[in-house]
Amino acid sequence: MKNNINRRNFVKYLSGATLSSLIPIKHALSNHHINDFTDNKILVVLELSGGNDGLNTIVPYGDDAYYRYRPNIGIKEKDLLKIDDYFGFNPGIVGLESLYKEGQMAIIHGCGYKDPSFSHFTSMAYMHTAAPNSGEEYGWVGRLADEMAPESYKNFLINIDKTQSLAVRSKKHVPIVFDHPQRFQREGFYSVKKMLKVDKNNENNNYQNNSQKFLNEIAKSANEASGMISNAWAKYTKKVDYGIATLDLDKIVALIQAEIPARLYYTSYRDNAFDTHVHQNNLHQRLLTYTSDAIRGFMNDLHRIGKEKEVVLLVMTEFGRRVPENTSLGTDHGAAGPMFIIGNTVKGGHYGQIPDLINGLDVGDNLKYTTDFRSVYATLIESWLKTNSQKILRKNFETFNIFDTTV
Amino acid sequence: MKNNIFFLNKIYSVLIIIFLLLVFSIKSFANNSSWKGNIDSILPKEWTMQTAAHLIERTGFGGTPEYIKKIYLMGPDKATNYLIYYENINTDHMPKFDESGIHDPGLINFPPSRPATTKLAREKGEALGIKIKKSGNRRLQPIVNKFFYWLRASRLETQRIAYWWSNKMLVSPRPLEEKMTLFWHNHFANSEAKIRDYRKLLLQNKTFRKHATGNFRKLLVAIAKDPAMLYFLDAGQNIKGAPNENFAREIMELFTLGEGNYEEKDIREAARAFTGWNSDDLTFIVNKEKHDNGRKTILSRTGNFSGEEVINILLEQKTASEFIVRKIYKEFVNENVNEIIIEKYAKYFRSHNYEFKPLLKLIFMSKDFYTNENMGSHIKSPIELVISTYIKLGAVNTPGIPDFNQSTSAMGQTLFWPPTVAGWAGGRSWITPALLMERGNFARSVLYPDIDFIAKDFYSPDPKIIVMHDSIRKGADITSATKASNGGNNMMMAESNMMADRDEDFNTRYASYKGWQEAVSKVKPILRDTIKISFTNMIINSGAKNSKEVIEYLLNRFLVVKINQSKKDMLIEFLTTNLGTNKIKEAESYLEEPIRMIVHLIMSQPEYQLG
Repeated sequence: MKNNINRRNFVKYLSGATLSSLIPIKHALSNHHINDFTDNKILVVLELSGGNDGLNTIVPYGDDAYYRYRPNIGIKEKDLLKIDDYFGFNPGIVGLESLYKEGQMAIIHGCGYKDPSFSHFTSMAYMHTAAPNSGEEYGWVGRLADEMAPESYKNFLINIDKTQSLAVRSKKHVPIVFDHPQRFQREGFYSVKKMLKVDKNNENNNYQNNSQKFLNEIAKSANEASGMISNAWAKYTKKVDYGIATLDLDKIVALIQAEIPARLYYTSYRDNAFDTHVHQNNLHQRLLTYTSDAIRGFMNDLHRIGKEKEVVLLVMTEFGRRVPENTSLGTDHGAAGPMFIIGNTVKGGHYGQIPDLINGLDVGDNLKYTTDFRSVYATLIESWLKTNSQKILRKNFETFNIFDTTV
Repeated sequence: MKNNIFFLNKIYSVLIIIFLLLVFSIKSFANNSSWKGNIDSILPKEWTMQTAAHLIERTGFGGTPEYIKKIYLMGPDKATNYLIYYENINTDHMPKFDESGIHDPGLINFPPSRPATTKLAREKGEALGIKIKKSGNRRLQPIVNKFFYWLRASRLETQRIAYWWSNKMLVSPRPLEEKMTLFWHNHFANSEAKIRDYRKLLLQNKTFRKHATGNFRKLLVAIAKDPAMLYFLDAGQNIKGAPNENFAREIMELFTLGEGNYEEKDIREAARAFTGWNSDDLTFIVNKEKHDNGRKTILSRTGNFSGEEVINILLEQKTASEFIVRKIYKEFVNENVNEIIIEKYAKYFRSHNYEFKPLLKLIFMSKDFYTNENMGSHIKSPIELVISTYIKLGAVNTPGIPDFNQSTSAMGQTLFWPPTVAGWAGGRSWITPALLMERGNFARSVLYPDIDFIAKDFYSPDPKIIVMHDSIRKGADITSATKASNGGNNMMMAESNMMADRDEDFNTRYASYKGWQEAVSKVKPILRDTIKISFTNMIINSGAKNSKEVIEYLLNRFLVVKINQSKKDMLIEFLTTNLGTNKIKEAESYLEEPIRMIVHLIMSQPEYQLG
């Protein structure tokens, strides 16, 4: 009984997602190009690698089924940071709670895709390419860059990581990938250093193989970007507390502050950190706290430099986790889970249909998806970056009315 | 008349260029596209210094001109046998790992986390071999100190194992043995980040070496019973009635079949077959009570299968042979595979009972292996880059400056610390704009070693620990020192920073500091020497007489793929300018620095990444 009432109450939180799908998306802006410098909206993607446990992040405490599935690791109602009479935040995410209360955080429920893969690598590749169960060579952010900016446009796409994410793999652009901005520069005796900057490659180069060609292209782009990145970082002073792990969001603020031409940023909580198979509660709460502190710090920092209206953050993961807890007080690989869109221009609240813990499970006890994750991508591409999403996502996906157009 | 001579000169030079192009193309097409996909053996008459160098690059970590000549003179058949059937080559002179002696029995069954440790202590009255203090403040402090001590100490010792292994890669007369050991470390990628016991990783490294080029089935069984792997994929949680699928999933997805070649139910059933498998510290055990003896159906076979039988079933799948052969081909031949040749090799591999040596012999003898498309197409991993750099420079040991682990980490690879259970992605993923610069900067730090080098194993990179250390030394109490190390009250504190000092039974930050201090004092130091090398001798011995010959000698020594002529001209001009002459004889007494600069430039070229 309790469930039903709560579910009904919830309808009011749902957006016009299904409605907007009926309204044809106008593609008048499809020729929109970066040449139009009046528009300087920036998208930042934060990936929580390893498969974040959505149910223990945004906890449906109003549903008894949650506690039946998770008798040991279900978070008690009294410990939660309550959102309403159905959901509560994990006690570790005070930062996100404050963003939610300020109306800057949209929670999109039940994000996933048909025939989910339970492999980290495969599912993450699907999220990266936005092409589940099919092959796609380039990443969705890379294809977005291809669509937004012509080839000649440099340093459009930034990926802060040790190695390049498939998500930013692009046909036309060489993503600027770095980990430590202060190290992103050549070292050497002055006369040698001068020589290293000389570009002796030209169009007529005959390369012995593709690897050689690839390396020479990367070298060129490294020479072009390194000074810009390391200078931006040198000028940045951290004045806001990001908590224990900044998740590289501070580096992104440094680059935004320096007004480098990049419009798309990709960073991640790395190394499968969220893969919580065993004794998960302490660990998971800690991971969420680090994430939440970093995001709160990021938003504060953007406000400090006066760029809060120009940036939106997407928080995603490769899959949610199995609904019932396992015998090791953890959870195994699952399917659907929530995504977050955070920003000053976001209309906070709940979007998408809330997954049903009783009738909404598949044979493997996983949440069936209620929102195709590409709808979330499409929302950002269309409504935030004013770009045609169909070409990038190969299909028309419904979008959410998530941005405050009055801003 | 004048015009005519000019005209004739022009014709003459055009003819020369055409002639040179012809010579060049004949030479390079002699072993070219027609060989692609051809698994017939390369013939002795087709064997050159270039093919010998290629074989050495791929089966090991590259070689000096002297070593390449030695392999070349053997001819292809003898050379591949020498490199693959290496058992008769003595390696007794290579030292065993010199343990620091940091482990003690209290550390056996080390708990998975700090909360698990304090929980255990509260339940049992002791943990990690230390009893709870009878009364007073911070009664659990010694236990928590020891917890952090072991995290740090095991990590530092693991870095020493990486040093020891790097020396083996550098000097082993069986380079393929080390190369395949590295291959298996990437294939069965376990990390100290989770295992937190250098002893298990050292044991696993020995297992990889033992089976490096042996039998795939024996290797799989050994790894399924390996204490590091058992811990890494949660064998302890895999018990009858409540199987944990982690190992069963990875053995199918990552170790033998690849995704798409099994179903979820095969994983669930296979997990049951591995129930009860575990380790008692460093020994494999089967806990019979926790083993599920029931019938299982795996990949359409039904029976009361044991773990070994599951491995047999996996290897009965044709896809298993193709999966591992494809991975070997990608690593040793070309990142871009041709499925027809994979099928041929896989068939051969199956018919040779999953023995690696015959397969490797077939691959390394094949014409396909030596096509131009495959030669010099491999992007070296950071480990390969570092080891081959030291080999080509003629180093006799891995220098302590720059630090081996820091160097490879900066370039994206840390031994015993792969990013995920899938290992390092390899190939082009090694290269980003920043990582390419790191590679050049590595060359800088080898050729111009830092003189203010402070090893990170002797000082904490964490500023909180340094502030803590300062405060404690000045006599601050633990709570105040912890607060100070949070950066004082100047910053609005994030939630995670406020919670650091809440539990009254112990102080985590202090324990982290004490743990560091004790670990540093117990783990043996790494010798911080720099590379010993004389470029002057290298050039004089090469016989090069002028700048052009020096550049050609060095390019040949350090690069397998040639750079373009304008870059080459630039190097020649740079050398001549810095020598103040074109003649080496005149510059003999001050050759060292100019050559060092040239080597730095060569090692910073994009082409230096290729092997």
